[in-house]
Amino acid sequence: MADLPKNEWMDQWQALSRQYWAAWQELSREAAAASGTDPASVPWHEGFEQWARMFGAGDAGKQSETIERVLASARNFTAFAQAMIAAATAGQGGAPGWQEALRNGFRIPGVAATPFDNPVAQALREISGAGARSFEQMMQGLAPALDPAREAKSWLRTPAFGFLREHQEHYQKMAVALIEYQEQASRYNALILKASQRGFELFESKLAAREEPGRQIDSLRALYDLWVDAAEEAYAEVALSPEFREVYGALVNAQMRVRSQVQQEVERIATDFGMPTRSELDSIGQRLHELRRELRNGGSVSSGALAREVETLRREVAALKAALNGRTSPAKNAEAGGAAKSSPPKAQATRKRPRQAAPKKRPPAAAALRADVDEAVSAVSGPAQSPPRDRKKSPPRARTHAHAPAHAQRPATPRARKSVAKIAHTPSRVGHPVATFAERMAAFARAARRHAKPAVAAARRNQRRGGH
Amino acid sequence: MEPVRIEPVKALDEVLKMERKLAAGMRTLRELDDVDYGATDKEAIYREDKLVVYRFKGSQRPTAKVPILIVYALVNRPYMVDLQSDRSLVKNLLAQGEDVYLIDWGYPDRADRWLTLDDYINGYIDRSVDAVARHTGADRINLLGICQGGAFSLCYTALHQDKVRNLITMVTPVDFHTPDNMLSHWMREVDTDLFVDTLGNVPADLMNWCYLTLKPVRLNQQKYVGLVDILDDKAELENFLRMEKWIFDSPDQAGEAFRQFIKDFYQGNKLVKGGLHIGDREVRLGDITVPVLNIFAEQDHLVPPSASRVLGDHVGTKDYTQLAFKGGHIGIYVSGRAQREVPPAIHNWLAKRAG
Repeated sequence: MADLPKNEWMDQWQALSRQYWAAWQELSREAAAASGTDPASVPWHEGFEQWARMFGAGDAGKQSETIERVLASARNFTAFAQAMIAAATAGQGGAPGWQEALRNGFRIPGVAATPFDNPVAQALREISGAGARSFEQMMQGLAPALDPAREAKSWLRTPAFGFLREHQEHYQKMAVALIEYQEQASRYNALILKASQRGFELFESKLAAREEPGRQIDSLRALYDLWVDAAEEAYAEVALSPEFREVYGALVNAQMRVRSQVQQEVERIATDFGMPTRSELDSIGQRLHELRRELRNGGSVSSGALAREVETLRREVAALKAALNGRTSPAKNAEAGGAAKSSPPKAQATRKRPRQAAPKKRPPAAAALRADVDEAVSAVSGPAQSPPRDRKKSPPRARTHAHAPAHAQRPATPRARKSVAKIAHTPSRVGHPVATFAERMAAFARAARRHAKPAVAAARRNQRRGGH
Repeated sequence: MEPVRIEPVKALDEVLKMERKLAAGMRTLRELDDVDYGATDKEAIYREDKLVVYRFKGSQRPTAKVPILIVYALVNRPYMVDLQSDRSLVKNLLAQGEDVYLIDWGYPDRADRWLTLDDYINGYIDRSVDAVARHTGADRINLLGICQGGAFSLCYTALHQDKVRNLITMVTPVDFHTPDNMLSHWMREVDTDLFVDTLGNVPADLMNWCYLTLKPVRLNQQKYVGLVDILDDKAELENFLRMEKWIFDSPDQAGEAFRQFIKDFYQGNKLVKGGLHIGDREVRLGDITVPVLNIFAEQDHLVPPSASRVLGDHVGTKDYTQLAFKGGHIGIYVSGRAQREVPPAIHNWLAKRAG
């Protein structure tokens, strides 16, 4: 092509266009799609338009969406190709000027200029064909519901009052939201246009890079692919910019405000007619979901009195553990003076326990406490969960009781007692995992209290003596 | 020299060839039924709400003693891993001797609007893991998380490590704030609370629109121009349509889970920055000490490789392996290269840790 004088190339092109049209008519003869117009002046994409009419949505059945999509893309492709060639051969003499053609834009007879002025925007609009709903389409869908808002625009500066005050204020908000959305949509479209323009710039530079011998483009498809590369590169540049990020967020937020206002209006109307609303259904769904979570989690995680009580127990146990650690750790024992010395029998007894893995390392008070807890847990859990032990092999328990009968008889604190009573003895909770857990916690707390008290008392005595 | 050397005859020939393909394609398209998917026989072993856990049945008994549970993303349907006979990650894993299970999340509706990430991760996934463990008798199982499911699997493993033997992540976003992450970039200024409060569940069409706008011309136009080339090939056309079905067959997103995922992952980037709470526990990637295999795609436009490859810097395990696949987010399941490379890589990695 580049080797031919331009006028000759044009003649050849027009002749071939006629040939193309004849060939297309041959292909579509069954559809009797003769146009009756001068073939040379008919855009090539018209062939695809004819295909679209022949295989319209009604005829194509399940694959109509695909057909529509393919035809639209093929139409765009050939329109692009023909526009490039036509624009490049529009001048007088010399070889076709591709860069000049690009600068002049793609003006194609029979095709709206806008898509080719802004191909990225066109591509975005066409996404809807795949069943997706763009923001733009969503707004079109909302149009009927927005009519009241449009009418309300004139009220925007009017203060609302009287019987219809609330309604007027609502319409004002809706109108404001709509206007704001349109403003944001304009900003967004401006950036998409900027991406398109940048795409043409990049296309030019990519074409320039193909001037080297051996790198020239020799097919319409290769030319089209290069244009797509440029368009996407430019779009990515814009889409990753801080400005786009801000505008995109503002656009989405603005649309959500419009939708929210419309939803409120729909709910108001539904309420007037005594119909259930989305908010009501959501509210029921939320309550049901929370209930299911509570049941699934055994009631131990969700909010509520039960969870609070368990949490209280946990805190008490933690405090007691801390106090116990203060009593049994070597450093604190030294500071606490006689606290550690006060329980040698327990230590001795603990060493006798055959089931302890490392009895010599365990602080004596802790061992006694664990024995108590084991006993308590065993008692509340029953034989199925904790097999009965040979009492002869459990001297720590006997010694513990012997040394601390008062503690053993001491009831739990009022709070703990209430917790245990409520959790463990509520009929519906019997056998429930939470009840079992609560029982174990309460037993542990009771045992811990019995053994922690001497340590706490010793620590306090030590403090009064000036210790730390 | 002019950059374009298109001979008029060649140009005409191209256009006519396209017309011929279209003419043939129209006939082919009209003859096609709805495409089917799923190549491998499977049985349901656990059901809960809309969730189903499937076990895939291979032609031979699995040789691996520890099963693999695939945790797919919520945003697409999981049959991508078993799309068709010659494009099936599942089938190839079975052929390697693995015992493969999959969580199918189903299609959430408004009844699921209040499901949280806690429900998904500490609830559904945990109970699915238990179900697979019960079904196989294994005390711990292998987890294979894909895309968003990979992020979920990371959270799950950090919180329930005693139930996970090995963790495999595929095309999984970890650092959501890398500069090339377009989706994350766009979501940063979105008022997520307003978004979810307004929409309830997030419509699948809106999600798809968002994905397509990542590359609008390529995904919405060039792809279909390329389709013309295969319009007269019924088998190829079916492959294309099967993929097309998968792309647009998307579930709506449960509102509360979406809210937390966008706020904590996309906006807060808490998976790497810290402060991510699932339920009442904090997720720390450093807590993950089981072996980790991280597979990502080098040409992934949805989860950029940079978002995945940082995982090794954050997990606590000393046994971390990384595999870069030459392909895209979809190609990693369905391309010929994927069939050859990915399942054997997973199998060999697991086999070395089977002792």
